[in-house]
Amino acid sequence: MNYVDLFRVTLPETVLEIAALLVLVVDLGVVRKAALQMRLAVAAIVGIAGCGVAIWSLSMQGSTGLTYGAGNDLILLGVGGYIAAAQVGILVLTALTLLLLTGSVFTRNAGEYVAIVLMAAAGGLLIAAAQDLLVIFIGLELLSLGLYVLTAFAKASAKSAEAAMKYYLFGGMSAAFLLFGFSYLYGLTGSTNLHQILLQLHNGDLYQATPLLNVSVVLIVTGLGFKVAAVPFHLWAPDTYEGAPAPAAAFIASVSKVASFALLIGIATAAVHVFDVPGNAAASGQQLHLGFGGPWMVLLVTLSTASMVLGNLAALVQVSVRRLLAYSAIAHAGYILTAVAFFSYSPLSTNAILYYILTYGLTIIGAFGVISVVERATGSDRVDAFLGLQKRNPLLAAVLLVLFLSLAGIPPLVGFWAKFNLFAAVLSVSAGVVPFTLVALAVAMSAVSLYYYLQVLKRAYVMPAVDDTPIKAHPVTLIVLVAIAAAVVLMGCFPTVLQNWIAGF
Amino acid sequence: MTLIQEVSSFTPQTAASAISGILWLIPALPIVASGCIAVLKQPRRRAAATLSIGSLGISLLISIAAFAHVLSGWLAGNAVRESVNFTWIRFGSSAVDLGWVLDPLSAVMLVMVSFVGLLIFIYSTGYMAHDENFTRFFCFLSLFAGAMLGVVISNSILLLFMCWELVGLTSYLLIGFWYHKPSAAAAAKKAFLTTRVGDIFFLLGIVWLFAQTGTLLFYNHGTGSLEPLALASLLTQHAALGLTAAGAIGLLIFAGAAGKSGQLPLHVWLPDAMEGPTPVSALIHAATMVAAGVYLIARVYPLMQAGALTGGVTTSLTVVTWVGASTALFAALIAVAQNDIKRILAYSTVSKLGYMMAGLGMGGVAVGMFHLITHAFFKALLFMGAGSVIHGCHEEQDIRRMGGLKTYMPLTFATYGIGMLALCGVPIFFSGFWSKDAILESAHGWSISHTPYYMLVFGAVITAFYMTRQVSYVFFGQWRGHGHAHESPRVMTTPLAILAFFAVTLGAIGTPAWPWFRAFLDNRASEVDLHAFAEPAWLMLLLTSCFIVVVGIGLGWALYGNKSPEPDASDTLQAAMPHVWTVLQNKFYIDEFYGATFIAFYAWWARVADWFDRRVWGGAVAAVTWLFGLFAQFNRFFDANIVDGTFDKGCEEISTGGGLLASIQSGAVQNYLRILALAVVALVLILFWSSRP
Repeated sequence: MNYVDLFRVTLPETVLEIAALLVLVVDLGVVRKAALQMRLAVAAIVGIAGCGVAIWSLSMQGSTGLTYGAGNDLILLGVGGYIAAAQVGILVLTALTLLLLTGSVFTRNAGEYVAIVLMAAAGGLLIAAAQDLLVIFIGLELLSLGLYVLTAFAKASAKSAEAAMKYYLFGGMSAAFLLFGFSYLYGLTGSTNLHQILLQLHNGDLYQATPLLNVSVVLIVTGLGFKVAAVPFHLWAPDTYEGAPAPAAAFIASVSKVASFALLIGIATAAVHVFDVPGNAAASGQQLHLGFGGPWMVLLVTLSTASMVLGNLAALVQVSVRRLLAYSAIAHAGYILTAVAFFSYSPLSTNAILYYILTYGLTIIGAFGVISVVERATGSDRVDAFLGLQKRNPLLAAVLLVLFLSLAGIPPLVGFWAKFNLFAAVLSVSAGVVPFTLVALAVAMSAVSLYYYLQVLKRAYVMPAVDDTPIKAHPVTLIVLVAIAAAVVLMGCFPTVLQNWIAGF
Repeated sequence: MTLIQEVSSFTPQTAASAISGILWLIPALPIVASGCIAVLKQPRRRAAATLSIGSLGISLLISIAAFAHVLSGWLAGNAVRESVNFTWIRFGSSAVDLGWVLDPLSAVMLVMVSFVGLLIFIYSTGYMAHDENFTRFFCFLSLFAGAMLGVVISNSILLLFMCWELVGLTSYLLIGFWYHKPSAAAAAKKAFLTTRVGDIFFLLGIVWLFAQTGTLLFYNHGTGSLEPLALASLLTQHAALGLTAAGAIGLLIFAGAAGKSGQLPLHVWLPDAMEGPTPVSALIHAATMVAAGVYLIARVYPLMQAGALTGGVTTSLTVVTWVGASTALFAALIAVAQNDIKRILAYSTVSKLGYMMAGLGMGGVAVGMFHLITHAFFKALLFMGAGSVIHGCHEEQDIRRMGGLKTYMPLTFATYGIGMLALCGVPIFFSGFWSKDAILESAHGWSISHTPYYMLVFGAVITAFYMTRQVSYVFFGQWRGHGHAHESPRVMTTPLAILAFFAVTLGAIGTPAWPWFRAFLDNRASEVDLHAFAEPAWLMLLLTSCFIVVVGIGLGWALYGNKSPEPDASDTLQAAMPHVWTVLQNKFYIDEFYGATFIAFYAWWARVADWFDRRVWGGAVAAVTWLFGLFAQFNRFFDANIVDGTFDKGCEEISTGGGLLASIQSGAVQNYLRILALAVVALVLILFWSSRP
């Protein structure tokens, strides 16, 4: 490792940090006296430009990751492949959440908000690429700390502060569990490098469930389960989704999810590729090396089943659309965890998970965009606030229709292909009873989910309006939302475009 | 004359050129226009009409350019078949491929559909001028045009099927355009359901073809399903009843074509479809959509013909021939006893579609397609003429309440007369003669049986007869309707004149002396050979045709000419043969037969299923719903009372003494972290339990 390499590989993160500082300078220095909307626009533009430059800088990273160690063969940060796809996704989704900022009134600190978003996104980039326990932990903390602050950003709202406090305490505890689990893993294998650890676990006959490994893996799954909001580590999600300002909630629901699942993909990929490094090829006929051995899969299957069932059923009775989306996010995490549990050696699973989480992130940003507009007009995010939306703003209602149907997985929208690819990937890895049951459960639960999505759409389209004054949306917001809905439709009609794009990295 | 398509001595030209690269624009433009019109407000009539006509006009220009490209390739001795294919969806190792193809067949059809379509669009601006749903009409019409053009250019049987279904949908929407009329709504439903019967067989054929050949594409540089490699493998597979897989798939696809093209026994929907506005009848139910079935058979002709011995006869083509010939005669007979001007034309269309099918079955692609093209022009002309008559007679459709219109509507009369003479196949001067002649010629030379030939000749006599009857009723004699008949506006009569011009001249492309059209479709060179006119066989046919026309028209004129029977008096023929007349007027009781058998069975079965649904499944579903509801309630209770409840309670207790922040901290830490710890313990327990020896 040398500093030139370090700079080369962390170029996108560096760009984001510089952009964050630039936003602060511009906001506090240049446009300090301007009106709030002006400052928000300037800060968002600088932030989006930063994301754009960061995407461009991904192509300047070169093709080899950052390595260290005596033989310079231990990888610290990876580049290219699924990592690059996830990083582009993180940056694009970050830019979209910044676009939703226009017209917001929840804060007066435009510069700080955008700067923190960019820093959190840098954390997301880091964990997508991290191949070492310490870097993973630092990246997670960088991302999480940003999210806690963003949740609390509506200082005038007690709900926001309460949600942030809950999120922070829960997150802090989870992080402690994660670090504790990591330390056990280090004790067992003597390394912090992911590949080294997995190799040790296998070669040292530790792969079978020993009590210490069991405890360690449970603690790690706790920490990661918190990040992706899987049951039973989901308790923060409904409160946070409800309390956070809409753009922040969209960021938490999309970017943070993409980064966390990229990390899970990283762990699963490292596990199935344990014997790829020359010289490590042990005499083994095993094709499947799932995560940290046996307990990993059992835990993920448990989490996934619980998330699918509980997320979908709890969503049925919600009256707040934000809480509804939180529970639906839990359910979606459950679906994806199925594919993480049954992970293929070929890039099939990686591509399917990325496809799912990227399109999900895009859709949920749009959904929060619609919610924020409705909330600003009616002062509430309850399902009844959507009554007669079709009359009050037909375009907004149409966007909502497309996005919610996509979330429910109705063809020809992109959500259908995401689910299809994901379930196909699970079944292609193993045709056993457990994956089949999981997929069957997931399909059944998707059908259940249609009910609560339609509950909202029914209010928007069918039920009579109590109030039919038109809802005005900021033109930029409207353009972004329509563009997202159009992308959801088009990608659904031409599913191979995004598939090929992901596979092309 | 040989019946087998000759092996082309032309150089194959399969590389995509610039024009075939943009071929997709032809269907895409009208579809986009339809989408734009859909969001237009109701009163924006001019914008809607401009969008429709403009987009189809551009499509027509591209179609002509594509046709010119194919034509110049043909003149240079190239067999043009350019396809552009792409993967739409990929599932692991198998892929769903879509694509489009430019060859003589699709080029000819493209020009015909977009040209006739454009004329009908222009005509519709006049015909529908007073309809309040003008924009909706053009939205559907554009969507139809796009879907139909999509059917034409498809190089993938799946894409063809999707456009095929879209065409069916728009047909449904347009037949039921005046949905407030119960008869229109019922006709739309009938059309949709009847064609669906054929489509199910078609879909089975598609699935079977895909399963056998592994590709959805027709032509793909040697690996498509219509190329020799795949056909050879299809011939080695044996299905039931001594059929090869190729034959069985061909029959299934023909069932789909029969549904769309109104062949026996699925013809019942087409006459009822006349409930739609007349431009719709002209465009969809005469010129284009109903011809889609014929086009489909022409498209998959290599499959239908696969394994043919000398003489070019296969089981599937034999079935096509018999069905076609029976339909031709059967529908012509029914048309004799109808009194609705559009219904007569509708049965005439069914009959002509039968001719086309028989032509395909006995004479090959060129024979069937030639009749399809000429028929499209003169039948669109007749329908639009009928529309003009209806418009001029204040929405009257009963021919007994018209009469003497030749003086009131001279332009309509002249053009209608040309259409009628073309339909009857009056020799030499009208296109209908040349194309019908080609069918009769191939029927005469068919190696299996001569019966179809006699059926078709008899059908032709009857065609001349019923058309004479109709024209005499409508245009001759005394005016028997109410009010004053008036000529239609110029926007309606100009398209009539243009179509009449083509109804006369189009025959020139397919005379025996210069069989240009056939050579073009078959990729052969064509020469002018005037000796063909002097061949005894052809002279025989000419004589037969003259005989047909003279007998048919003469008989019709003798019975109906220049008389003005009272509207409620019984028909001349009815008086002579009352029983035959009743049977014909009731369309051989086919509808009643279906009502008593299939529909009655379905109604009974629906009642059984309904009972089963309510009693058995309903109970099960209610039980599951109740269980889920219970679980959800429990969940909410847990969330609200255990998690939030203790939290809120904590808040209440402490907020009396301390600040809000303190209360939040206390509540959240205790409960959330308690659950976190419990979850960790539970997971560890699950692990130890699952990994126990």
